[in-house]
Amino acid sequence: MDTSSPSAFVNGSLMRRYIGQKVRTVIQVVGSDVGSVVGKSTDDLQIIVKGSPPTTTTPSTYLEVIGIAENENSIRAEVWTNFGNSFDPVNYNELCKLANGEFKHLFI
Amino acid sequence: MPVTLTPNAIAAINTGDVNLKPLLQVLDIRLIGKTQERGQERYRLLISDGVSAQHAMLAVQLNDRVKSGRVEKGSIVQLTDYICSDVKGRRLTIVLNMETIVPQSETIGNPPMSAESDTEFQKPLPGPGNIHPPSRVGSVEQHSTNKAPPRGVNITPSVQPAYQPPPSYRNHGPIMKNEAPARIIPIAALNPYQGRWAIKARVTAKGDIRRYNNAKGDGKVFSFDLLDSDGGEIRITCFNAVVDRFFDVIEVGKVYLISKGSLKPAQKNFNHLKNEWEIFLESASTVELCPDEDGSIPRQQFSFHPIGDVEKAENNAILDIIGVVTSVNPSVPILRKNGMETHRRTLNLKDDSGKAVEVTLWGEFCNRDGRELEEMVGSAFYPVLAIKAGKVSDFSGKSVGTISSTQLFINPDFPEAQKLRNWFDHGGKDTASSSISRDNMPGGGSRNEIRKVVSQIKEEGLGRSDKPDWVTVKATIAFIKTDSFCYTACPLMIGDKQCNKKVTRTGTNMWLCDRCNQEFEECDYRYLLQVQIQDHTGMAWVTAFQESGEEIMGRPAKQLYTLKHESQNDEEFAVIVRNRLFHQYMLKLKIKEETYAEEHRLKMTVVKVDTVNYTSESRYLLNLLVGSLQV
Repeated sequence: MDTSSPSAFVNGSLMRRYIGQKVRTVIQVVGSDVGSVVGKSTDDLQIIVKGSPPTTTTPSTYLEVIGIAENENSIRAEVWTNFGNSFDPVNYNELCKLANGEFKHLFI
Repeated sequence: MPVTLTPNAIAAINTGDVNLKPLLQVLDIRLIGKTQERGQERYRLLISDGVSAQHAMLAVQLNDRVKSGRVEKGSIVQLTDYICSDVKGRRLTIVLNMETIVPQSETIGNPPMSAESDTEFQKPLPGPGNIHPPSRVGSVEQHSTNKAPPRGVNITPSVQPAYQPPPSYRNHGPIMKNEAPARIIPIAALNPYQGRWAIKARVTAKGDIRRYNNAKGDGKVFSFDLLDSDGGEIRITCFNAVVDRFFDVIEVGKVYLISKGSLKPAQKNFNHLKNEWEIFLESASTVELCPDEDGSIPRQQFSFHPIGDVEKAENNAILDIIGVVTSVNPSVPILRKNGMETHRRTLNLKDDSGKAVEVTLWGEFCNRDGRELEEMVGSAFYPVLAIKAGKVSDFSGKSVGTISSTQLFINPDFPEAQKLRNWFDHGGKDTASSSISRDNMPGGGSRNEIRKVVSQIKEEGLGRSDKPDWVTVKATIAFIKTDSFCYTACPLMIGDKQCNKKVTRTGTNMWLCDRCNQEFEECDYRYLLQVQIQDHTGMAWVTAFQESGEEIMGRPAKQLYTLKHESQNDEEFAVIVRNRLFHQYMLKLKIKEETYAEEHRLKMTVVKVDTVNYTSESRYLLNLLVGSLQV
């Protein structure tokens, strides 16, 4: 398992802690533009992801994005993964909170 | 002044003395029936001289003497003109004229009360062979016609004879049978000590004619239930000939006036009406249809209980319930203990108490009402169902079943039905109801499941109480025993279930089932898997039967059996089995400790195999985490 560039689990509000660092998050696609995707984070904040998304990106699809957090609400994407339509954002959100809170020592 | 009768006058007359003009007393007057020849009434007197008495006929011209009362019994008369003649050997005296001397008098002397002149008479009679029969007949006649019994000496002649023929009573006599119609009383007031009663009530239920055979022979009986305007109910039963009289007359819903039945204690095990009495109709009973629609008598009487009450009710209690039918299962044939086949159908009934109950329909209810309900529910039209006299059963939680006297009403026009319809259509349909008809297995929904880890089973001593424990465990299949993973099963049906008993081989290609007592060529193959499951806390051995086995193995037992034993393809078999290992499932386990000889063994059966639902499982784990953090 490649642990050379670990990424922190973040939701919308946790992004600001990792500006300039590698993060990973799941967003629900709201709309897409040329060269960027606008999505909703698991804690209902708006996130802009720069880069080229996978071809089949339709609104309401969940996408996992791994990349560098440019500022507190945008990511420059390196890896995109389609998580489909039936994804539970609540569970992910809790994971993010725990992974940056009580169980931070288990993660990066 | 005392009158003296002419002594020996009778004898003198008889010897032919017609000039005597004797004084005699009339002891008796008898009207001799109108003679056919002349159509005239004749009176016959019994005259006495104080010592002897004799009959004498009164000449018709003197008839009015008797009629006017101038001559009556006890009168003393003087015979002024008379004749005496022989008629067929008998002395016949005819009074042609007489005078009444004393109208009324006590009997003078001591004459015989009947004419003994005949017997006396026989002696002086000359003439050959004229004696006897006529006289005897005469005397017999006299005795028979002389209705008056011997009077006491002191009885006045004016006293009527003690014996009189019975008067013929007709309806205008002083005593009259009371034909007035009986008063209508409420059914609740009926009792066996009530005199004449009549009730006016509506038939709410009519039973079928039931034939029976007992020590007295064959018989038939039928019953019907009545409801009156005060809400009183009573059952009426008719036997044999009475059945024929009334069976076609009685119709459900019509009102009748019933009277002259007999009242007996009600048989509580068959009669569930609220009355301690039952009416039996007999040959004298009357049943009259009242054609006028009597609005004061309701069509049916219910006392509906909310489904929640059923939960608290006793086993075998009879009650009325009403609810909305949410599902109807197909009808299945059932073999009863006596070998008779009947049908059974279950449906779900839900009401606004937040509870639901399973209702079992038996026999005819399955076919008639059951089918109608099935169709309605099938077209997403959920009907209101009212059940009168359903029986509570404590089989599988609490459920309600039909009995012979049950009545079902689909979408009835009652206020309770309206209320339920409104509740259901405005949200009631979607509210969750907890069913009171499940047995202890928590299968009503994921919220009812008890979740454990493998180590907790031993730690908490599950399975040790009277009833088995049902838990859910998330575990991985670690090992599957392949030596014997299935058995040969009987495929025959018993009622609605397959026999499934292990069958033994007979001959070359035949299988025998002991229970069904039948042989057949093809047997069924059913899983009997011994599986080792593991989670992060420990491991355990569980048994999986057919349904769970198929989930775990992913294919029917027969397929594997064929592969292993017939094709002898051990390799492929091994590959398949290995591929089924290390899958994680949500396993519903039934845990019970059983005693074999002196050994206690914890028996665990896999009742259900479900794939893990990651969303809900994540939630569950999160809750555990958060919960443990707060501790």
